[in-house]
Amino acid sequence: MDREHHDVLVVGGGPAGLSAATVAARHGLDVALVEERVTLGGQVHKQPGPGIVVRDPAAMGREYREGRALIDAAEASGATIMTSTAVVAVEGDAVVLVPDGGRARTVRARRLVLAPGAHDRPVAFPGWTLPGVLTAGGMQTIVKAQRVLPGRRVVFAGAGPLALAFPAQLLGYGAGIRTVLEAGPPPRIGDLLRIAGAAPGNRHLLQDAVRYRAALLRERVPLRYRRIVVRAEGDGRVEQVTHAAVDADWRPIAGSEEREPADVLCLGYGFVPSIELLRLAGCDFDFDEQLGGYVVRRDDWLRTSRPHVLAAGDGTGVEGSVVAVAEGRIAGLGAALDLGAIDAATAEREAAPARRLRGRRQALTRALRRMHDVGPGVFELTTPETTVCRCESVTAARLAETIDGTRDINVVKALTRAGMGPCQGRSCQRQVAAMIARRHRQPLGAVELATPRMPVRPVPIGALADDAVTGRTLFMRQDGDADVPAGELADE
Amino acid sequence: MSDPTATRPLPRWLSYEQTNGPLPERTDVLVIGGGIAGTALAFYLARGGVDVALVERGELNREASGTNAGSFHIQLAIHQLPAAGSPTADTERLLEEARLNLAAYEVWNALDEELDVPLGVHLTGGWMVAETEEQLQVLHDKRVLERQAGIETEVVTGAELRRRAPFLAPDLAGASYCPQEGHANPLIAAPAYALRAHEHGATIRTHVAVQAIERRPGGGFRVTTSAGEIDAQRIVNCAGAWAGDQARLAGLRLPVRREGLHVNVTERRARLLDPMVQHIGRRLTLKQSSDDTFIIGGGWPTPAAPPPRRYPTTWESAAGNTAVALRVIPALADVRVVRTWSGVIVFTDDLSPVVGGSTLVPGYHACVASTGFTLSPLLARRLADQLLDPTGTPPFPPAYDPDRRMTAGRTTP
Repeated sequence: MDREHHDVLVVGGGPAGLSAATVAARHGLDVALVEERVTLGGQVHKQPGPGIVVRDPAAMGREYREGRALIDAAEASGATIMTSTAVVAVEGDAVVLVPDGGRARTVRARRLVLAPGAHDRPVAFPGWTLPGVLTAGGMQTIVKAQRVLPGRRVVFAGAGPLALAFPAQLLGYGAGIRTVLEAGPPPRIGDLLRIAGAAPGNRHLLQDAVRYRAALLRERVPLRYRRIVVRAEGDGRVEQVTHAAVDADWRPIAGSEEREPADVLCLGYGFVPSIELLRLAGCDFDFDEQLGGYVVRRDDWLRTSRPHVLAAGDGTGVEGSVVAVAEGRIAGLGAALDLGAIDAATAEREAAPARRLRGRRQALTRALRRMHDVGPGVFELTTPETTVCRCESVTAARLAETIDGTRDINVVKALTRAGMGPCQGRSCQRQVAAMIARRHRQPLGAVELATPRMPVRPVPIGALADDAVTGRTLFMRQDGDADVPAGELADE
Repeated sequence: MSDPTATRPLPRWLSYEQTNGPLPERTDVLVIGGGIAGTALAFYLARGGVDVALVERGELNREASGTNAGSFHIQLAIHQLPAAGSPTADTERLLEEARLNLAAYEVWNALDEELDVPLGVHLTGGWMVAETEEQLQVLHDKRVLERQAGIETEVVTGAELRRRAPFLAPDLAGASYCPQEGHANPLIAAPAYALRAHEHGATIRTHVAVQAIERRPGGGFRVTTSAGEIDAQRIVNCAGAWAGDQARLAGLRLPVRREGLHVNVTERRARLLDPMVQHIGRRLTLKQSSDDTFIIGGGWPTPAAPPPRRYPTTWESAAGNTAVALRVIPALADVRVVRTWSGVIVFTDDLSPVVGGSTLVPGYHACVASTGFTLSPLLARRLADQLLDPTGTPPFPPAYDPDRRMTAGRTTP
């Protein structure tokens, strides 16, 4: 195995990873950044795919331009940037990289900055596996990277800030949005006051919110609060969706169902951190549903409980790209501080603006909480026939039967195969955990996730196999325990 | 390949409440460990009318019993051979092991009916490949022993091998074939035993850890657990990889240690092979499961971790293990590994099981074996017979004695 070393290895080419790499490289460290996609920029700042040439950056929107600036800075910083390269395992200070179509290799680094980002909070209900049901993230990829509009009659259902922002953006691309459903309540005076209190420095976000709202009004798109999609139906693809009013826990209210025709159902129930690598690295976690569920525990410099692993951005708790950029800087400075590239005073001074920005945004997140609290009802929409794990086609009934005998998600996984497919449980594990919590009357956060296992992305055997590895001989008595007396009474 | 589990429904397993009730104050036999050995023993004892309680510190079937690949190892394999490599050096032990494997397989073949549960037992046959001429000679040598023990094997080479096993690399030196090899579903056997044991009156308790064992003056034991105390006349240690730690609580040292094993599993692929594939000179056990995924293991190590953490898997073992698989079956190159897992097995340096009663601590017994998935139904049934009728049942051979003394990896008489 060839050995490649870096001072800092940054995993993730979104806003957090880009700014961490930039800051650490500017302080003279040998930095490498790995991104599994073809392009840098992450979800929010997603750049157009290969073959699409941008002639007029001004026309591309603020998110594109901000993303471009982060990428330009990282490229100018001297950091080595590897795209189309998946990180599939973390073992101590070693990280295994698999370039698209290439062979796996192990890279060592004195500090790891993990900035893996987030993915859509998966929600299961009857019909959620029908073609035409898309997640906001999936639809964003289609629209932003490929410039394709997937449907004519789009129903958008979701919660959180994106529930307004994303449909408004889609309208800008010419999508036919028929209805927007927000699971949370309409904003009240108190919420507005709290947001205003948190607003200094967040002003452009409020302006954005107003703009999104106005865009929906202009196009006469009905925006309906406190409603969620409970069912999707169709012959081979979505043709009709059913939505219902919900109570404060997002549990449907009987008799409030309405049907409407649709060819695309876009779901945006917020995001959850992509925590596979952080779990594989052995970091400690806390639980906060509002930040996406399981969130990694960190100190002021964003070090995790594993001393050589720092973590930044939405992969540590979903707070958006502004916080991600700030966190990337803090983590980059934290790594530089740990490695002696800067002194403590310099680190504090340079981190101060990022810390202030992060603090302001976190205040806003707290102010928005009442409106976007995720209700447990959204995890209770399945019927016995509903497929919960789509990789392995496991129904809710099969899971319920197994969960009757155990509260251990590993046992449920082993007995039902839910979570064993290529997605490694990213789509179904939250739903399974919610089922366990309900059956055994536990809080959702008390349900331990399945044991993290590498590879976190599928790897072809041809890329993984290494004839140079022979390993130590198993089944042979190791030196050192040759004199252990067996068959005698022990001392104690 | 038809999977009987697909046509005959599984019974409903024990509910959480059924395995998490209060601990009884006393029992005749306390079984420690809820893997296949413990649940099988609880079943055979309860069916024989013995008052039995089983305690498991975690969930049933979560360690080696449920994390192995479910293969029945019938022909002699690399880990059984003496370090010198030639099977002729250790004839008596190998013959005994070969006979034991065969007897265990016979129990398995009747188990489906005995438990009235579809266990997914399949006879698929198994190949053991040789890359070199030396390895091919080992296959010929061990075949002589296998024949003596009643195991049918044949050594196949050249064009015939390519015809019968076209998935194997064409340049292998040869392979031996055993039609008696096969597998069962490792996720079903222990829960099925536990369910039937419960129906016969056994108490099954999960999430109960044994913390201390005190010998009572009049005989029997007082056992302190995480769920309170229980008095037991007799104890059977079925704790598998952790049997050594358990025995120490009773003041005994068992001749066992534990090893973490690494297993890789791939995405589903079109059916390529039914038989199990092993290697006589390198560490490989491979099969295509009834889910059409490839399960690749064979004795690659994992580092240890304290419970309740699972042993981690390592990239190095994945890379080394799949390299052997790719050498033997070239068509695997573009098949993607989607997951790895670890299993922790108990290992005895003299390669023999640890079964029977201790004379150093009367009333204390063990039922522990390295290839426990294959052997446990047989060993548990024989041990239950002994516990039911201590005088009328033949004892286990001295080689299995829990009190045996070990030196330099081999027993001394």
